[in-house]
Amino acid sequence: MASSMAFKPFTGLRQSTPSTTTETTIFIKPPTSIKISPKIKAGLTSPKVTGRNLRVAVIGGGPAGGAAAETLAKGGIETFLIERKLNNCKPCGGAIPLCMVGEFDLPVDIIDRRVTKMKMISPSNVAVDIGQTLKPHEYIGMVRREVLDAYLRDRAADSGATVINGLFLKMESPLVGDAPYKLHYTAYDSKTGASGEKRTLEVDAVIGADGANSRVAKSISAGDYEYAIAFQERIRIPDTKMNYYENLAEMYVGDDVSPDFYGWVFPKSDHVAVGTGTVTHKSDIKKFQLATRTRAMDKIEGGKIIRVEAHPIPEHPRPRRVLGRVALVGDAAGYVTKCSGEGIYFAAKSGRMCAEAIVEGSENGKRLVDEADLRKYLEKWDKKYWPTYKVLDVLQKVFYRSNPAREAFVEMCADEYVQKMTFDSYLYKTVVPGNPLDDLKLAVRTVGSLVRAYGIRREMAKIDA
Amino acid sequence: MKMALLSSSSSTPTQLPTLSPPCCKSHHLTHKTYLVNLPLTKSRNTHLSIFPVKVSASDNGAGVVTSTAAVTESEEKVLETPSEDKASSNSSPPKSEKNEEDVTPVKAAEEMVNKFQNSKWVNGSWDLKQFQKNGATDWDAVIDAEARRRKWLETNPESTNNDEPVNFDTSIIPWWAWIKRFHLPEAELLNGRAAMIGFFMAYFVDSLTGLGVVDQTNNFICKTLLFVAVLGVLFIRKNEDLDNLKRLLEETTLYDKQWQATWQDENNTKSKKD
Repeated sequence: MASSMAFKPFTGLRQSTPSTTTETTIFIKPPTSIKISPKIKAGLTSPKVTGRNLRVAVIGGGPAGGAAAETLAKGGIETFLIERKLNNCKPCGGAIPLCMVGEFDLPVDIIDRRVTKMKMISPSNVAVDIGQTLKPHEYIGMVRREVLDAYLRDRAADSGATVINGLFLKMESPLVGDAPYKLHYTAYDSKTGASGEKRTLEVDAVIGADGANSRVAKSISAGDYEYAIAFQERIRIPDTKMNYYENLAEMYVGDDVSPDFYGWVFPKSDHVAVGTGTVTHKSDIKKFQLATRTRAMDKIEGGKIIRVEAHPIPEHPRPRRVLGRVALVGDAAGYVTKCSGEGIYFAAKSGRMCAEAIVEGSENGKRLVDEADLRKYLEKWDKKYWPTYKVLDVLQKVFYRSNPAREAFVEMCADEYVQKMTFDSYLYKTVVPGNPLDDLKLAVRTVGSLVRAYGIRREMAKIDA
Repeated sequence: MKMALLSSSSSTPTQLPTLSPPCCKSHHLTHKTYLVNLPLTKSRNTHLSIFPVKVSASDNGAGVVTSTAAVTESEEKVLETPSEDKASSNSSPPKSEKNEEDVTPVKAAEEMVNKFQNSKWVNGSWDLKQFQKNGATDWDAVIDAEARRRKWLETNPESTNNDEPVNFDTSIIPWWAWIKRFHLPEAELLNGRAAMIGFFMAYFVDSLTGLGVVDQTNNFICKTLLFVAVLGVLFIRKNEDLDNLKRLLEETTLYDKQWQATWQDENNTKSKKD
């Protein structure tokens, strides 16, 4: 499947039926917005790299690494992509927003399922359907990480990047200002056998895209972040039950399912992924998983667990994301949103943005970059996506606080205006300010929902007291 | 406390263990205490000894156990740990599964499955026609019923079902019912506190400064103190509230600080270079 992907042309595979082409042009950002800006400041003072192009290593071959490597290679930079496991089956929810398909020119067959309906289920099992406001061409794409990652890596290789199957060990920082970084890694190929062979690589800049437990982050002392543990079981359920999840995903909220996150049932290629996550009560994760299964029991009964997986998810960026000529992107930097726990799109986008900053700062590989160029990527990133992150943080703080808050949350999801705003901001990754009058009405209704839910909780407390 | 429980639960038609025969009243009580102690993990262990007896006693309980066992047996386990969790053996089964087995025997008298059942709960929502009192809907009873349903589900989480979806929305209860029930008593309490403080402060300030009530309301300092007193009464009702408010304030800015951290770093390195 992965090999057939490599030969497919990756242009023009977007959703473009005659009825939707006009709409696609509206929401797909025009290419000029991601092109290099004409103002080049820092590069002018950097020394020219003589006789060769700038060398950059991208550690980690997931969405962030793949996107970064492709942009670097296309920008004329000598790129090395180091990935430790080329057929890695990353545990992941696997949901990508619509804008990712367009921005990264993903072929349609990468997407296993198009989720157009979601069910939000409150602690007292009040079920609310959302998705009626979606237009026919809008969907949330469910992908298998091994398929997506391989596709992006192959595309990077096609653009000229060198993909190295190796495990990054450590990095020696340059003692003098312009000296290269020396990377130590264990290479695995047909000659080295299973144990691999230690090799070194000298590069001028490094992009750390090696995920939540990033070694690059450790070598630049980037600091730690709080992280959630996401635990997931892949369950193959009978076809009749699978039909229900054809294009529907479920989200369960409640203290039984998770004290600060949610449980989910996401449809995958031919099975469902049932999982949950938590930051504050990691030791109880199995209990939460059992509760999630209980809540979905009628719909997954008779299924077989085919895989159990868990992974850390960062909750906020690391204290340090750039040092010298090393930058972190994706999960390594901590770019996962709160509330929804979404990371794939932000990983790929940050990889691309960082690579663009390097291409621009080095004038397509002719000059050496420095920390200021990498900080430009940070600036651009923070400016562009800070509102999204902040809004989701506020939502999490308000609505994942306690069971009454979650009841209010699900009640609010029933509202069409909320659905439209949520999907618009999720699918296109922009915080769209709506009509102020509607926003005011929404605020009043939210407060009302919260007051009612907390009022009922006070009655609940009286029952046992 | 337990007597009040018994009387209140016997007066309602919800299927809390009130319908168990009188002879079971003794372990009805213990069951109730078990439910109360559910959030405390320690006491849970002490009650486990009672229940294995019940599991074998009632057919319906066994029926539920086999249904859960059927689910577990049909699931292939890839790793060892999940199989430990789902083995429904008698020797130290995990806590959450013990829950189901523990609760079911008591419910077994009425229902095979420990689902929430109530004659007024129809089609996933409260049937308002059954809450009539003197010709008008008794909203207080609806609020009570919903509170009891949520409490039940908190201790006995059940599966969602596509055939019986829950779609109750609390906004069907009119706004004035909520105000009457929740806002008014609290408003009375807080206004009472404010009035008491106000009266004595007015007297006190008068005795110190000679300003009467009319003169006090014209004075800027007094007006500021009045404002502070009102806010205090509104937001600080217990001693813990002071700490809570401080923590809330920190919480609102924490995420911003985490994002700004990399920029503080830049300033540090810049100053170090110079």
